[in-house]
Order: sequence, then C-alpha cells, then structure tokens
Amino acid sequence: MKLKLICIAIVALMIFIVTLFIGPRLISPFGMTGIEKQILFSIRLPRVIISVLMGMALGASGAVLQGILRNPLADPYILGISSGAALVAAAGIITGVSFFGVFTIPVLAFTGALITGIFVGAMGWKRGGFWPDRLLLAGVGLGFLFSALLMLIMSLSSNEGLKRATLWIFGDLSIADWSLIPYGFIFIVVGLGISMFRSKALNSLILGDDLSHSLGFSPKKERFILFISVGLMTAASVSLGGMIGFIGLLVPHIGRFMIGSDSRILIPVSALGGGVLLCIADLIGKSVLSPMELPAGIITAILGAPYFLYILRKKDVLSF
Amino acid sequence: MTEIVFAAGLGDNIVGVTSYCDYPEEALSKPKIGGMSNPSLEAVVLLKPDIVIMTTNGNSKEFEMRLRAMKIKTYVFESRTIVQLPDGIRLLGEAIDEQERFDLLASDIENRLNELRARKQATSKKVLFMIWPEPLMVAGPGTAIDDAIDLLGAINIAEDTNIQYPKYSIEEIVRRSPDIIFIGKATGMDMQGTSSGLLSRLSYLPAVKNNKVYFVSDNLYRLGPRVIPGIEELAEYLEGSEDSMVRGENNSLLKK
Repeated sequence: MKLKLICIAIVALMIFIVTLFIGPRLISPFGMTGIEKQILFSIRLPRVIISVLMGMALGASGAVLQGILRNPLADPYILGISSGAALVAAAGIITGVSFFGVFTIPVLAFTGALITGIFVGAMGWKRGGFWPDRLLLAGVGLGFLFSALLMLIMSLSSNEGLKRATLWIFGDLSIADWSLIPYGFIFIVVGLGISMFRSKALNSLILGDDLSHSLGFSPKKERFILFISVGLMTAASVSLGGMIGFIGLLVPHIGRFMIGSDSRILIPVSALGGGVLLCIADLIGKSVLSPMELPAGIITAILGAPYFLYILRKKDVLSF
Repeated sequence: MTEIVFAAGLGDNIVGVTSYCDYPEEALSKPKIGGMSNPSLEAVVLLKPDIVIMTTNGNSKEFEMRLRAMKIKTYVFESRTIVQLPDGIRLLGEAIDEQERFDLLASDIENRLNELRARKQATSKKVLFMIWPEPLMVAGPGTAIDDAIDLLGAINIAEDTNIQYPKYSIEEIVRRSPDIIFIGKATGMDMQGTSSGLLSRLSYLPAVKNNKVYFVSDNLYRLGPRVIPGIEELAEYLEGSEDSMVRGENNSLLKK
C-alpha cells in the first residue's frame, strides 16, 4: 500500500511539473527567453502551486467530511463555508473595507469561511458533541441563507464593480499570486496533517460511534478535531481561488474505487487526486480557447464526471 | 439610450428608465422600471409611455415581444458600433418624429468623430483596456472601446477573441506586451486599489514600468454621445505618451 502511495505521489509530482511547461504556449525548459522566465516564475508557477494546494485541500476535506458525516454526498461546500466566504467578501467590498490592501478579498473570504464554520459547528453541537446530521443540515440551511443574502446584496446594488469583484468566488485561478501562497500553504498543510494524523480515528468513525468507542477512540472528540481540519482546509482553499466544484465530492469516491476506503491511504490519495485533477483542468481551461480563459471548475466537472460515471457502472460493489 | 434622448434635448419627455441609467444626473430622478435585462413589464405599463425605446445590446428580445403583444409602441435601437451610431440616432429620430433634434445630434457626433479620426496616430501602439483586474476582464471586439482604439489607429491586443468582454490570459498580456494599459472605472470601486495587485504582478511589463497605465472614465462603456469625450480621453493619453510621460503622472499608479 505504501508503495502504491509513493508511486501515485511521484506521478502527481511529474504531472505538476509538466503542466508548468505546457500551457497556452509551450515553454521549453532548455533555453528560456527572459520573457518566458517571467511567465514561468511569476505567472505559471504560483498558479500551479495554488491549483495543487486547492485541489489537495478539497480532495482531502471531501474524504474526511464524508467520513465524519457518514454521508457519501457530503462535500466541503455543503457546510455553507463558501457562501459565507462570498457573503463576507461582498459585504466588505460594499462597505469599502481595504485595510489589507491586495489581501482584502482573500482575508475577508477567509474570515467569512471561518465564521460560517464556527456557526455551523455551533448549530450542529448538542450534548457535548457534533451530530453528523445536524451538522449537515445546519450547513445546508446556512448555505441557503447566505447565498440568498448575497443575491439580495447583488440585486439591490447597482454597483458594477461589486458584481465583477464577486465573480472570483465561482472559481478563478487567474488571481493566483505568490503573496497568498504562504498563508494558504500553512492552513492547508496543518489541516491535511491533522486529518492524516487522525485518519485511524476517522476509520473508526465510519464504522459508527459505538464501534469507534469500543476501539478506544472518543467519537465526539475525534469528530471535533477532524471538523476543524476540514474547516481550515476549505476556508483556505476558498480564499485562494473561490469555489471549484466536483473535486471535494467525487474525487474521494474515485479514490475509494481505486484503493478502497481505508482513510489512512484514502486521504492522501484524494488529496493528490484533487491536486492533479485541478492542475490538469486549469491547464485545459487556459489553453483550449487561448487567449481567453475558461474557469477551471467547469473543466474539473467535464473531465471528472464521465470518468466517475464510468467507474460507477463498472464496479458492482460500492465501497462506502 | 437614455443618454441619447437626453442629449437630443428630450430628457423631460422620458417617463421611466432602467436602474442602469445613471447618466446624466437627471436620469437618476426618473422612475425606475427595473434592470437592463429584467425590466418589470408592470412598471412599464403603469407609466403609459407613448413609445418604449430599447436596444439590442442589453435588452431582451422576449421583453420586446411582450411589449408588442400589449400593443405598446416599441422601437429597437440596433447600432452596435461607433461608426453606426450617427445613423442609428437618425433612425431613432425618424421613429419618434423628432428628426430635427436627432439629426443635429447625429451630425454633431459625426463631425467630432471626423475630427478625432484626424488625430490618428502614425505609429500604431498596442493597447489593452481592462474592464476589471481580478478576475481579469478586458474589452474585446464589438465594443465601443475596441472601435475607439481602432479609430485612433492603435491596436487592441485583445481583438482576436470572439466575445465582447473576454476573461483574458495574463500570460498572453505579458507576451503581447501592450504599450499602454487603460483601466476603466467602475461605479463605487476604487480602481487604483483594486488594480494594484495585478499591476504589481505585472511590474516588469514595459507599460507598467514606464508609467503607461492610465485610469480612465466609463464614457466608452455605452454606445451614446459620451463616446466622444471617451475617445478624446484615449487620444490624449495616446498622444501624451508619444512625447513625454508627464501627462500621465498624476494619473498613473506607480508614481510613488
């Protein structure tokens, strides 16, 4: 199993490197011109890093969330985190907040995402712990409320800038910039670290609280810790590049089809799978209609969904 | 549309406008009938207009059908480019029986366009007009902005896309390296602040390095009489960048 994981990691790394050099126009790694170097280091590299980070965060948090909520339809955005991020960002733009300079929108989005996460957590908390169904419903409910409020702001405002400024929430990697990477990196690595560290506990949670308890874990505590890791990863990924669909929901399922549902391997595989998929999707999105760009979120779904449906038909046992 | 009718001196006859009609100022106090693409039929009917003037660039065909079905006289303005604008205005004048006023306006625009054509640059500069920096949206073909750039003898580096306001590749901007970058204003937004992130990432571009980034008005965002001052504005910067950079200094972001 370890070997399989290492192989997947190496393949993923190779894909990341290759996507750096191919793009709307090929850059040869040997004999780059000055301008090509600029493009490679200040435009392509940060963008690839951000798509990898976002894809990893989404893939891993999908795998974790489906486990702690014991629901195969859970995806990181189901907790309403992205709607909260968009709402706070839009509200900030309207009121003219700008004390973080270029970071204003990412910081607002991250704050919104965290507040929503805490809110959903508080709503899903009863008798000393999280209740999966409560969490899920609280997330869906808040998500609806926040998107309705966002729509309200948008339709009441004749502010054209606001409409354009909030477009990024629907998934936009072109805003990728070096300055954001360290922050995103810290939150995503911490979240990923926590979830991998607690992956054994996640395995037990999937079996049910009673079994988890008898295996020596405290289901309430584990669910809490894992929820925090998901919140961190999702909030960071939304503030890096908005919402990218499909990855959080379906990449963990593809991972389960391929390597089974042991979370110890599923989490890293979903993370790598998410990173690879988003990276390739973005490459296609910026290349097919060059010099125009298509949002990566469209491509992830167009690429991923048929493959997902294909394996869904091929496998006769669903391993959730 | 509202702007054209106001410019022809018939502002007082307007009984209702959309929520997008924010110029001239008097338009703001007119009753609103809803948005550009989703006006309220009820509101229009209640205002009992003699004629509803629509445009193919923004209003929906369905709405026109519904108005006609309700026997409300409707005129659709079809000009899409600056060149077509004067004739469009004349046709509109015919449609509402105010030929004289509208012919006057049309000829005035035509004359001033010809004057502007004379200011065409000998060397064709490469221009990029940004509508919004992040996510990056630029003015493509079929917009009044593209027409204006063309009329002044410059080249819009985004003219090879096939939509009006494409989401453009930053990489391609670096490769095509525009001589001048214009950034249009958006209501209620501080464009200098909003653009500073993108511009600092593009700081190695000659246009950015040499302070050839200009923040301009939204005069060219709508096809109407204001395209004239809009073109003049671009012309000034195009000419200004010819001899010195002084002119742009107050306007340029990187002056510090």
